[in-house]
Amino acid sequence: MMQVSGDVQIIKEDNVTHSFCGLACVGWMYQKIKDSFFLILGTHTCAHFLQNALGMMIFAKPRFGIALMEEGDLSKNEPTLEEIIREIKADHNPSVIFLLSSCTPEVMKVDFKGLAHHLSTADVPVLFVPASGLVYNFTQAEDSVLHALVPFCPVAPAGQKSVVFLGSVNDATADDLRAEAEELGIHVAGFLPESRFDKMPAIGPDTVLAPIQPYLSRVAVKLERERGARVLHSLFPFGPDGSRVFWEDLAREFGITVDLRDREKAAWEKIRTQTALLKGKKVFLTADTMMELPLARFLKSAGADVVECSSAYINKKFHARELEALQGVRVVEQPNFHRQLEDVTRIQPDLIVTSLMTANPFAGHGFVVKWSMEFMLMPIHSWSGVIPLANLFVSPLHRRSNLPAFDKEVWLEGVMPSAE
Amino acid sequence: MRLAFWLYEGTALHGISRVTNSMKGVHTVYHAPQGDDYITATYSMLERTPDFPGLSISVVRGRDLAQGVSRLPGTLQQVDHHYHPDLTVIAPSCSTALLQEDLHQLTAHSGLPPEKTLVYALNPFRVSENEAADGLLTELVKRYAVPQEKTAQPSVNLLGFTSLGFHLRANLTSLRRMLQTLGITVNVVAPWGAGIEDLKKLPAAWLNIAPYREIGLTAAEYLAETFAMPAIYKAPIGVEPTLAWLRSVIEQLNITGAERGVPPLTLPKLSAFSLDGLSAPSGVPWFARTADMESFSNKRAFVFGDATHTVAIVKFLRDELGMKIIGAGTYMERHAEWVRKELEGYLPGPLVVTDRFQDVAKIIDDEMPDLVCGTQMERHSCRKLDVPCMVICPPTHIENHLLGYYPFFGFDGSDVIADRVYLSCKLGLEKHLIDFFGDAGLEYEENGASLSPEVEPVSANGHVSSGVDVDVEQEALADDGEMKWTDDAETMLKKVPFFVRKKVRKNTDTFARSIGESIVTVDVFRKAKESLGG
Repeated sequence: MMQVSGDVQIIKEDNVTHSFCGLACVGWMYQKIKDSFFLILGTHTCAHFLQNALGMMIFAKPRFGIALMEEGDLSKNEPTLEEIIREIKADHNPSVIFLLSSCTPEVMKVDFKGLAHHLSTADVPVLFVPASGLVYNFTQAEDSVLHALVPFCPVAPAGQKSVVFLGSVNDATADDLRAEAEELGIHVAGFLPESRFDKMPAIGPDTVLAPIQPYLSRVAVKLERERGARVLHSLFPFGPDGSRVFWEDLAREFGITVDLRDREKAAWEKIRTQTALLKGKKVFLTADTMMELPLARFLKSAGADVVECSSAYINKKFHARELEALQGVRVVEQPNFHRQLEDVTRIQPDLIVTSLMTANPFAGHGFVVKWSMEFMLMPIHSWSGVIPLANLFVSPLHRRSNLPAFDKEVWLEGVMPSAE
Repeated sequence: MRLAFWLYEGTALHGISRVTNSMKGVHTVYHAPQGDDYITATYSMLERTPDFPGLSISVVRGRDLAQGVSRLPGTLQQVDHHYHPDLTVIAPSCSTALLQEDLHQLTAHSGLPPEKTLVYALNPFRVSENEAADGLLTELVKRYAVPQEKTAQPSVNLLGFTSLGFHLRANLTSLRRMLQTLGITVNVVAPWGAGIEDLKKLPAAWLNIAPYREIGLTAAEYLAETFAMPAIYKAPIGVEPTLAWLRSVIEQLNITGAERGVPPLTLPKLSAFSLDGLSAPSGVPWFARTADMESFSNKRAFVFGDATHTVAIVKFLRDELGMKIIGAGTYMERHAEWVRKELEGYLPGPLVVTDRFQDVAKIIDDEMPDLVCGTQMERHSCRKLDVPCMVICPPTHIENHLLGYYPFFGFDGSDVIADRVYLSCKLGLEKHLIDFFGDAGLEYEENGASLSPEVEPVSANGHVSSGVDVDVEQEALADDGEMKWTDDAETMLKKVPFFVRKKVRKNTDTFARSIGESIVTVDVFRKAKESLGG
């Protein structure tokens, strides 16, 4: 067991930052759990967010919707959702309905637990998912969804030791992780979440939970407490360094000793041209998806100079290994964007990993940027994800150097009159 | 309470930010939870803003509420310190509006001088995007416009041009071109690109032009009332409306000109308005008379959108292209009465007024028009039914924010609209897009079949199933005597998005050969992915 360092410096600021709220998780969770429906009790704002920022209107019959609170609903004691639930069941026939909270009903102190309980039937449970932007950022509501799914994971009896991977990834990535584990001689009990509600994995005292996304600390703690499962505290499986440590640590949990140093070396070798480009480059992560810590750690291992790694929330225990690997890097929780802007201007990073709100403006200021959200939509896990991961960082650098010189006095004239 | 999937108008906060994001030296601070920051992304992504939109969020968190902490005064100080705006607009979100806080007092606590702040606290449950934008613009005009001398030469203000407006830049260019041709100066465009100083000098213009029913109208009415400024409210969409618009601009300016002893403006030869200065300013009048447009007499069109565009497009389709209007509607309930009056005699039945896209989709499904002019939502509904559709107004999608010059206003705009009508109807551009980017087609195939069986024949004839295309591709490859794949490996390959599947198969074959394998097993496939990068 590696020693967890307790003295990693984390600077905490005031969260005046650019990011999405927890409802964003609907974007990938409804696609992951294919027999689900995601119902948000919310307002016009929630609907406008989903349709604009996530561009979700492109789907014919989305398995998500808003129970729209209008002015008349504000004076009612408890929202009545029976009619809406009936409509959803008739149109979509889901196996499970996730009821997501949002800011307005939260301010109104709606009793979501009671509401969900009241709407649940034996056939179709309605599960409360805390997702309001008053508390949860971006990816954090996936943690809430998995939390709600725990009672539907059968209890695995003590006996066979097996792994459950924690975090939603696409089916192809899941297959890779499963095969990799099996090759190491590790029995795989499944993924939380699986793609169907009735296929959630069994979890018990001999389950090792292997978190594969860095924003799922609450469900990990819950399963540890309620099921006596063991949570793997390792690096997250991103990059050659993260993949080696993750698999070696996971194998160790099963009493298997493997030495994956050669494999790690080979993986670095495969991205030699990418790391050559990243070496010494100043990279600034402004905080958005909460994948920042492992991404920064990979960049550091690849030789980049991570000038700031900010993240909305950092859990000292859950992220201990990543923090330890980031020793010496400026790590900020709940950063202040105005301060970041000043630092960016002063430091002049070579690459900024940042949100949809700030990427183009940074580019307009002459910086090379990468959308942080892309890391959530690309298969960057484990060994097969090494090349895509490295490419995500180098592609904007390449692109910039391949484009002709850009005189912003000329080519940005009139593009944004309010800023001139 | 109702189940909503999608809405036409944005929120009040969105309307407010559209105005402030248009303006120089104006910043908006949302007193709101983190999530409301999504609005910033609509500007940075759709308008691709090369600078930071003047929007900051003063985060309200659950813990702050419990502890009775407000970060607003501090955020206002930060914003002032970092961006030095001339004016900061403070607005609550839907959730914080419920808290019934005194935003004026919190703002005062920031220590900023009152003239540098404006609390614009609407009821977000009652007021939507356009009303909020129109209201804020009026509020700003009231606050800043001051009496002053008129400009020496004929001049106009262009009001209502707002960030994220439909084909905003091109429309503005089209108007500027026409005004330039007439020798008329543009005094101020607002709010797009205007600063506080510009708002102050609004009354110097001779005439206000406020072509949008949704935004700018109220400000023009206020200026008319307070500064006796005449205004033109018609939208120059279509050839005849553009001619009428030009004539009334000239007429109005000449009234002021006569009072001031400035020689009258006259309408030049119309070719002066063409792009090369040598030709007819629009191809539409001749195009409408050509033989191949004859078939359009029988084409049945349905129009749905905001107030301004619904009225203009119905008139254009019927009056200038000679099409049949089978119905029209608007989601702008506030302006429904005006739309109804404008379209008197144009519609075979009552005007549809709804903010539920499902109602509109049902009409389209029942009527199966030859052309639908609508919003992105109608485009989407039509795609399922294989009905031609063109987008004529917001809400938009990134693909409505193009680089080229595609105005809807003026003579240039008439040509653009006519071209789109022609391409939409005749070629069914949508169908090609679906065939090409087949993923969407697949989605609709499945859902369409279960949703509305009566539509099936159309789908079957219409978009050639992309699923079939993929299968054909795969068979062809197998026949070519390529590498053999085990069933398991095939299953794994199916998990790769189909549009890159062919490439992945080819690369895997090459990889397998390079390591001396003759069959692609799951193991080989995985190794290939690892080696080639997914």
